[in-house]
Amino acid sequence: MGNLLQVKDVKRSFGSLRALDGVTLNVDEKTVTILIGPNGSGKTTLINVITGLQKPDEGHIYYVSTEITGWSPQQIYRTGIARTFQIPSMFGKLTVLENLLVAEKNHPGESFTKSLVKRLWAKHERDAVEKASRILQLLGLFEQSNMPASLVSGGQMKLVEIGRALMSDAKLYLLDEPVSGVNPTLAHEIFARIIGLREQYGITFFIVEHRLDIALQYVDYVNAMVSGRLIAAGPPEQVINDAKVIEAYLGA
Amino acid sequence: MTPLDQVILFVVDLLALLAVYLIINIGLNIQEGITGIPNFGIVLAVAGGAYITGGLSTRLAVSLLRVQTNLDPIFNNIAVLHLVNPILRSQPPTAIAMLVLFLIIGSLAGALMGLISSAPAVRLREDYLAITLLAFGEILNVIGIGYKPLIGGPIGVNLPDIFGWAGQYRFYVGTFVLLLVAAAIFAYAGYLIKTPFGRTLKAIRDSEIVARSLGKDITRYRTTSILLGSLLCGTAGSLWVLYSGAVTPTYARFDWTFLPWLMILLGGIGSNRGALVGTVVFVALNKLIVYYKYAFVGILPFDIVWLNYLLLGIITILILIYRPEGIVREKVTAPKLNLSAANKEIQSS
Repeated sequence: MGNLLQVKDVKRSFGSLRALDGVTLNVDEKTVTILIGPNGSGKTTLINVITGLQKPDEGHIYYVSTEITGWSPQQIYRTGIARTFQIPSMFGKLTVLENLLVAEKNHPGESFTKSLVKRLWAKHERDAVEKASRILQLLGLFEQSNMPASLVSGGQMKLVEIGRALMSDAKLYLLDEPVSGVNPTLAHEIFARIIGLREQYGITFFIVEHRLDIALQYVDYVNAMVSGRLIAAGPPEQVINDAKVIEAYLGA
Repeated sequence: MTPLDQVILFVVDLLALLAVYLIINIGLNIQEGITGIPNFGIVLAVAGGAYITGGLSTRLAVSLLRVQTNLDPIFNNIAVLHLVNPILRSQPPTAIAMLVLFLIIGSLAGALMGLISSAPAVRLREDYLAITLLAFGEILNVIGIGYKPLIGGPIGVNLPDIFGWAGQYRFYVGTFVLLLVAAAIFAYAGYLIKTPFGRTLKAIRDSEIVARSLGKDITRYRTTSILLGSLLCGTAGSLWVLYSGAVTPTYARFDWTFLPWLMILLGGIGSNRGALVGTVVFVALNKLIVYYKYAFVGILPFDIVWLNYLLLGIITILILIYRPEGIVREKVTAPKLNLSAANKEIQSS
């Protein structure tokens, strides 16, 4: 098991606010790792920086052994890192199925010139639809395939987000609070599906999540962040018993 | 002229205007409706197509038909056209080839205007962008009035009579060509919405940040959308001046930006069929108001010339209050999954 993602001493400020103050962490291949920390501790900023939506001020990010620091979101997506958002944001007027199809990589029909001739993309489209319908099946969203995405429930939107990410065939998935605002049953189901995907496809998850009661049963590693710094990292039992973590995050 | 001739002429004229507006509205709908770029400066592309076609057509006709003359095609416009038009009238194939050439030039001119407006358009947010493009729309009229070699200044120029070979049926043939082009563009736009390219444009409209995180090059898609929409507006401008046979630098924001917006709002933003319905309903309605408004002289307590502006304002407000999504709602154009069939296939594999 090698390091899939390495973050080295990454810093990022917004004006006088130090959102990331020298974060260093590793994500091992085929693991499920969560990142915890109080609100405003820089977790989402870290994901934004890794996926290229924001540029780090300092530091380095490596994927496998390639440095991806400062790459554009497109390049990072193509290289094999996909993400979801904390507040699910749907392509509202597209159907659930189409939401997944948009995420298909290297679709010839997405180029304006090739889109003019249906023959050049129809086969790829059929394959993509088939792939999407398998993912929808896997996520239990199959019945909603033809519904406009703006009409599905909040929990289902979370699943659509994951489904969109899965379409990319990425190796590393960064999920920003995949079960916030989801009922406990569905939350457990989402984590069970994440574990299932890891087993089935050998993919890696790096998850920001606050709902430790649910998440801790499923994950391999926990990283804890406070005020833009990593204060603890390791297996779940070790981190949640760490004095600094208890003080800063879990409370007495 | 018999009353029947009058009715026919009225309808032919109406259809020509309808075709031109349909093309513009499709161009606007690709930008605003499908990609979410509020282009309040489409008059720029329409006027670009119209003025460039107007400015180049006589010059090109003179050199391509090898007309021997020392007269200037713009400043001695009428005299030069006296030499050009008989040739075009006697050679329909040449006239048609020239029509195609002028249309290509006009469309490219529209696309060029789109390229110019896309520089701010891909960088600015909605309201700033709208203001900038609104200003852009005025530029060409200022140039057209001030720079006489373009289209002869304020009085404008005539164009080679590309439909002259049809004799007394000139306007029928012209209208037919306009409708043909409009129908082809309408069919293409309907196809575009269903391609993965169109789907990506809609995704960018619905959530730019997610589209970016899914690896889409937003800037390129938005630029392509503006270029495509502006190209169509250029086609429309070019067709309109070739049909009417003259061009003046009076392409106003009201006619060529505000009205198209009103039409796609009325028909349903984002829907291709909506663009058609909005155009038909609006153009017919507007024409009827203009035609019959003098019947209200003395009945209404204000000058009758304001009647259509007033009614258009009222219509806009009513749509926005009671049916903001327009007459035709944006349709789901997705490839539909046949749930039971797909299910079986997955189970069996």
